Amino acid sequence: MPRPFPPVMTAIAADAPPNRIGQPLLPYWLLSPAVIVTLVIVFFPMAEAVILSFHDYLLWKPSSFAFVGLKNFLAALNDDVFWISFWHTFIWIGLTVPAQLLLGLVTALLLNRKFPWRGLARALIIVPWALPSVITALMWRWIYDANSGVLNDVLMRLDLLQASFPWLADPDTALYAIVLTLTWQGFPFFAVMILAGLQAIPRSYYEAAAIDGAGAWQQFRYVTLPGIAGVLVTAALLRLIWVANSIDVIFVMTGGGPGYATYTLPLYAFIEARTSLDFGYGSALAVIFTLILGVVILLYLRRVGRELAV
Amino acid sequence: MIRGTLRAAGLAAAASLLLSAANAETVRFWYHFDNPDNPMTELIETFEAANPGITIEAENVPWNSYYDNLYTAIVGGNAPDAAMVKLFAQPRLMEMGALEPLDDRIAAWPGKDDLLDNILAINAGSDGKQYYLPVQYVVLYLYYRADMFAELGLTPPTTCEEFREAAIALTRDTDSDGQTDVYGFGFRGGKGGHDHWLTMALPKIEGGLDGGSLTGDEAIAANQWVIDLFQNDKVFPPSAPNDGFQEIIAGFKQGRTAMTIHHIGSSAGMVEALGDKVSAAPVPQCGDGAWTAYGDESLAVFSSSENKDAAWKWISFLATGENNVLFNKATGQLTVTKSGSENWTLHESRFVDATVASLPFAGVLPSSPATSDFVNVVWPTAMQRALTGEADAKTMMEEIQELYAN
Repeated sequence: MPRPFPPVMTAIAADAPPNRIGQPLLPYWLLSPAVIVTLVIVFFPMAEAVILSFHDYLLWKPSSFAFVGLKNFLAALNDDVFWISFWHTFIWIGLTVPAQLLLGLVTALLLNRKFPWRGLARALIIVPWALPSVITALMWRWIYDANSGVLNDVLMRLDLLQASFPWLADPDTALYAIVLTLTWQGFPFFAVMILAGLQAIPRSYYEAAAIDGAGAWQQFRYVTLPGIAGVLVTAALLRLIWVANSIDVIFVMTGGGPGYATYTLPLYAFIEARTSLDFGYGSALAVIFTLILGVVILLYLRRVGRELAV
Repeated sequence: MIRGTLRAAGLAAAASLLLSAANAETVRFWYHFDNPDNPMTELIETFEAANPGITIEAENVPWNSYYDNLYTAIVGGNAPDAAMVKLFAQPRLMEMGALEPLDDRIAAWPGKDDLLDNILAINAGSDGKQYYLPVQYVVLYLYYRADMFAELGLTPPTTCEEFREAAIALTRDTDSDGQTDVYGFGFRGGKGGHDHWLTMALPKIEGGLDGGSLTGDEAIAANQWVIDLFQNDKVFPPSAPNDGFQEIIAGFKQGRTAMTIHHIGSSAGMVEALGDKVSAAPVPQCGDGAWTAYGDESLAVFSSSENKDAAWKWISFLATGENNVLFNKATGQLTVTKSGSENWTLHESRFVDATVASLPFAGVLPSSPATSDFVNVVWPTAMQRALTGEADAKTMMEEIQELYAN
């Protein structure tokens, strides 16, 4: 049994400001392992990427390392592939995140209703989210396969298609096909977050709304939506950052092809650095993308900060 | 007294353990096999039994990212001691100073006289030194469906014109549902497909890839001819722009394509799926001369290795007689030794014949650091864009020309 503090000490502890002598270093000690790990595996490589972005650095030509100032950045702005990738990134985020959010919202509303085997349904819904990205990507690559894919087979049986279509080999459909895959993979995240938000809304609100004569839509509009608004915004911001950075599914499904049809900025940076071994230019692309994404991250941090302050 | 003796014995045991640990050498070896049930364990056990004190840590690295991993491991200071390597990577690895010259070791190695004639010369570095020890080879040829050719009264094409006519005839709706279900040729538009393209276009490009005439009219027309096979003649499956090794082999085995180009490594799987319906012939001659890819695979020791002697022992073991035969059983390719070739029973003779008949015009890619980029990035992207109509034949040739010019 823990020994209780003497009354005097308890009074001091309760009244004391958090930063008394002896206390102020404790939070830093406790945080330091996480901070050190983050510094070493996140900030150090980030700083190195920034330094590399100002250099010519071909990995297989170590002797050619030279400071070139903003050359890589200017080259990026004059690079057609950069702008193609930029536009694709915009479509990629702009379609995937809202689609995941909508599907997640509908799923959460359904899962919040009472029906037999609801527990099982709630557990199963998480499967797409729990699958490793590579498995998801390979699975969907076979679904879309032009020769033996199940999607073409179903569409042809339904007479919606006359001949099988190469979804991933056609530049007009490849990006959208991957957006659909990522929507399927990511919607459970929204569903689970929103479901938690829905369960936090007291039933009495709905009862009061019903007594006031509010219909189902009005209850959704004036009780449910305001109740989950906080969760929606936080989840959407967080997911936006993840989706923007996500290259694994694209890389496995098309490798960026056909041509540049599924290039996004992070994928372009990855291919330049990893396959072309041009670490200078690849780093510059990564830095530019980080700056763009930084705006969203700032919004997210401000929001989290506000929530914590409350 | 007893305690003292025990302590002394314990110390002696610990010392001998430490000593053997200090003497033990570990050779980290990277390789890539498509075949999952490979005999590497058996080879390692045989080697380790014959060479106590050397431990082999062999790692099967997936082919698609093999060179990405290798280059970054070398720069990151974590290169393996030895690895399987291809000729196209040699200029870049030399530029990085990553390769250990093997001339003296090969000269003192009894196995060198058993190597096939001229094979060391083919794999020599541009500075005349020997960095690569050959371990297997293949030559690309044309696989075709003998039954479909017989049904349509066709013979294997010997020229590009005949190839096109055959491909058009073979592209058919065989079950009368109004849809094409067999395509004439399984073209590899994804990574690794440059060999298909080079067979059809390279003989018409004066001076070759790095000869500076890629943007000439004849070269552009040769490229357009390949693109037209897809866009106008529609003899490639619609998925061709993204198709890689798995897709072209699966397409041929499943009867969705009537021809494709690959090497003897696929023959066992082809025969298993199609039996006598599959046969092989040298690739057709396009333009003034035929060209097909000589598919090499060698072993190299890296200059950063601290166990170069042990690494050399291991790679020379793999290139010796029976061991090399066992190695090639896994990869399905051809042995580099004379003794192994004499009693070769691994492949059906028609595939060996096609390989041998193709040897006189088999070639390798230019010995230039740009070749790695050509293979991994520039060709696949440019070809996909050209096939899907996002770029024209001229743009594609300009991109390749620029790569080699720089």
